[in-house]
Amino acid sequence: MAKEYDHLFKLLIIGDSGVGKSSLLLRFADNTFTGNYITTIGVDFKIRTLEVDGARVKLQIWDTAGQERFRTITSTYYRGTHGVIVVYDVTNGESFANVKRWLHEIEQNCEVVNRILVGNKNDCPDRKVVLFEDAKRFADQMNISLFETSAKDNMNVEEMFTVMTKMVLQTKKEQKDRQNATSDPVRLHNPKKGKGKQKCC
Amino acid sequence: MELTPHVQEKLHSGHKLTAVVEAGLVQDFVKTTRVVALIELGAHETKQGGEQALLIFQTVRVPVHSAIDLSIERVLPIDSALRCEIDTSSTDVHTDVLVNITSGKIRLLFEMPFSQRTNTFVSEVLRAAEVISKRRGPPPEFAWLSPYQASASSSNQGNTNSLSGQGTPVNGQETAYPPATATLVDLGDDVPNAANSPYLDPSSDITDNNILQGETERSPELGVNRHGIATGISPTPIAARESHIRHQMALREDSYTDIHDFVFFIGTWNVNGRSPIVGLADWLAVDEDPPDVYCVGFQELDLNTETFLFNNTPKEHEWLNAVLNGIHPKARYQKVRLVRLVGMMLIVLVQEKHLAYIRNVAVDTVGTGIMNKLGNKGGVSVRLDLHSTSICIVNAHMAAHMDELERRNEDHDCILQRTCFHTNINSPPKTIKDHDHIYFFGDMNYRINHCDLNVRELASSGQFKQLLEFDQLQQQKNIKRIFHKFHEGAITFKPTFKYDVDSDEWDSSEKNREPAWCDRILWYGDSIKQKVYRSHPSLKISDHKPVSAVFVAGIKVIDTRRYRRNYEEVMKKLDRLENEFLPQVTVITTEIILEPVKFLQSQTKSLTIANTGQVPVQYEFIKKLNDSSYCKPWLRITPYSHFLMPGEKCDINLEVLVDKRTAAHLNSGHDKLYDILVLHLDGGKDIFITITGDYERSCFGSSINALVHMNKPFREVPIARLIDLESSQPKELSDLPYAIPKELWYLVDHLHSHALQVEGLFTISGRIKEFIDIRNCLDEGVPNDLLPGSVHSVAEALLFFLEALPDSVIPVALYKEAIDATPNFSLCKEVIAKLPVYHRNVFTYLMAFLKELLKQSEGG
Repeated sequence: MAKEYDHLFKLLIIGDSGVGKSSLLLRFADNTFTGNYITTIGVDFKIRTLEVDGARVKLQIWDTAGQERFRTITSTYYRGTHGVIVVYDVTNGESFANVKRWLHEIEQNCEVVNRILVGNKNDCPDRKVVLFEDAKRFADQMNISLFETSAKDNMNVEEMFTVMTKMVLQTKKEQKDRQNATSDPVRLHNPKKGKGKQKCC
Repeated sequence: MELTPHVQEKLHSGHKLTAVVEAGLVQDFVKTTRVVALIELGAHETKQGGEQALLIFQTVRVPVHSAIDLSIERVLPIDSALRCEIDTSSTDVHTDVLVNITSGKIRLLFEMPFSQRTNTFVSEVLRAAEVISKRRGPPPEFAWLSPYQASASSSNQGNTNSLSGQGTPVNGQETAYPPATATLVDLGDDVPNAANSPYLDPSSDITDNNILQGETERSPELGVNRHGIATGISPTPIAARESHIRHQMALREDSYTDIHDFVFFIGTWNVNGRSPIVGLADWLAVDEDPPDVYCVGFQELDLNTETFLFNNTPKEHEWLNAVLNGIHPKARYQKVRLVRLVGMMLIVLVQEKHLAYIRNVAVDTVGTGIMNKLGNKGGVSVRLDLHSTSICIVNAHMAAHMDELERRNEDHDCILQRTCFHTNINSPPKTIKDHDHIYFFGDMNYRINHCDLNVRELASSGQFKQLLEFDQLQQQKNIKRIFHKFHEGAITFKPTFKYDVDSDEWDSSEKNREPAWCDRILWYGDSIKQKVYRSHPSLKISDHKPVSAVFVAGIKVIDTRRYRRNYEEVMKKLDRLENEFLPQVTVITTEIILEPVKFLQSQTKSLTIANTGQVPVQYEFIKKLNDSSYCKPWLRITPYSHFLMPGEKCDINLEVLVDKRTAAHLNSGHDKLYDILVLHLDGGKDIFITITGDYERSCFGSSINALVHMNKPFREVPIARLIDLESSQPKELSDLPYAIPKELWYLVDHLHSHALQVEGLFTISGRIKEFIDIRNCLDEGVPNDLLPGSVHSVAEALLFFLEALPDSVIPVALYKEAIDATPNFSLCKEVIAKLPVYHRNVFTYLMAFLKELLKQSEGG
């Protein structure tokens, strides 16, 4: 009882400037939304405690500046991250086109990490340009799960973070299992044959 | 800070201050300062002494300066309902001590500093609570507290008015407290003497008042000193989060629990050492529906001396089996626990379907017999939690004989005081009184006092009312000597003692005992209703008749869904608070644009950083991943790290100065006046601050090789060409390069013409303003071939020029060789021969000048 949480996970939100990374975080952590756009100049974080499968998980969620000029600096924040949320704006095709670069960024800075693709601002069908089908096809191709959310309408935000948390929990469990398995002498000659999911960075 | 005299001043005469402490009262996660005092009624004011109370003061300022600062918020008499527990869940010794003070439905969570004063205070409160629990006779009335009570209500009244419209309701806590009157009505039917009901006694009145006042003044967001929560920089300013969660969940209990009715069957029988030769169904299974819980108590199970000495008896099994065979056939039961001490045995059974909801079962036995120790008399008890209601079941056998009234009273006290349950090591042991519901029954042995009535006749003819007036138990209860706050249903059955065995005849032995209601069932707790209270005369094997009662008890059952929702709400609220307590600052701008920067001309920009958060902030500029410093060498940040209290501001100076170290890189395009600074808040976010500007290139910091190819003033050379000339393999060279840089010539020639005779040349420093003019002249073209400024400034400019060269006159690669060659003239010549051509020119030129200078100074 004395311990505040069973797991502490670090999540990172990346994506182009203006896609709603901070709004997603604000919605999830404080359940608030503001229409005023304040561009994030830096890296901020908030915490939120979830109970998932009976385990108390404390999430420390980092929100990064999306602007191009900060990219080299923000890449240093990938260290020690358990999960990365790549966000695009469903009303902005370019932000979706750039997802590839962001995924590349993850590859460069993290060894293996749980990833999730999020199409935010999914609250105005008239302005939607990135169709779910297209995004889904791309996501499947990249082997990444896709969520369409709206921080404004509080749609799918909680679900997305919960799934992310479950993925991280699962990875942690697999890692533990593997550790136990590798201590088994029979399997020593065949290390890392699993799904290659290991700790990131 | 000395509190004692100020608090002392608030006390009425004859009342003594025992201990006082300043504490943080945690309400809805937010801590506000209170002064908590333990006061005592002076010994001469009361016969018994030991009446104590807690006064909780609000204070208008911290630290308290005078008694005027303090106003009484709450008065908590230290009675049997008061609990004081130190929260042990926090393992961090540096945090404050969390102290739970509860009294009925009032739950207060205090944070007290980890200090001797706190230690003393808590010990004194615990001691006071113990004194009251050991107290004999009627409970204290606490009339002496009424003046404090009055001022508490008036100050709260004032609060209510001033808060109107601002107070935010706190998640349904208002509904958490059932009105005191409702409780009265509920129990009214069963309380034989309503005027003497414990619910009307003054101490309960005080408590109930407090509940109502508590509601009106509960306004979490108002006037709170939120800074107080965080006393320093700490990654988690909300200490002991777990305790807060528990406290909050306890406060919200009513919103996620439902009251479900459970039927309890309580039976008691003094079996006079007999074996169960008859079936018990006539006692245990006479009702239509099966009860949810059976609590069956026996006394005088075995009268053998061996049993008394070794506490071993075959009767235990016999009677257990008899009970199991006699219980209601319409339901399946499981044994929760059996506890026995000599002849006293208690069996608790529960319907199978409820077993999973029974937790923390514990038993205890108390012997009050011979030497006040042995188990021929005393009590055996079981405690358990059924869903969320704590229940204690006590089967007692008290001292016998008409004249042993006081012994019985003492047995009652002993059982209540000495029974102690240890459920698990993490929670403090529980006494009987610590339970929501208590069933206290057995052969209490209280008799009908001597009177003129014909007891046997009245008893036989069912005229109990007259007899009951002489019932010792009811008399003692009415004067509050025993069973304070307990209830007993109306007795409508014949006295259960004493019969001739195997008959319904009153005792015909020599002893000729008068009939009495020895066997009784009492209960304590809200939401318990007695359905029946009866004896079972058909069971005749003992000299007592068995007694039973059926209760419908309201048990708190957690609604998992609502519990979860509440739990999540509490967690979210804590998370939100934790986020609010992350360091926050505002910076005026994150983009700093410099005016054009010139060589050796410093420029300062300031950046205001304001702590707009709730906690102190320690900021620091930190290095980016591959950098060796937190900023470029041409930038200086002061202070680069600083501590800011909430509300404080601080100006950070960013001084840009391009000098001999940095000019060359800027000239060659290897560096730019562009940097992203990472402003890091300890335990919080990072803010990126971009600084940009244009550098106005200068001949200072340009290389010899580049300068000799510039036939025009430096400023007139396009930047692309400057960068090209500085590169290792310039594409575009001049057809007619100078032998030495013209700028060097201007400087040296000026000195040669004007300063050969000047004393202290190169040792007296020049003026920076004059240097700037000289620099501008050199870069823009020297009018009339005349440099401005004093010769000392020109001399210094020459030194700057040489120092700022990207590669010195003797190139770095030849340093060692040059130094090794110093003692040998021919070696020196070899080194000079190795110099690149324009460097050699410069070297030769400078040497010639210095030689001339030395000659002149020797002459002078």
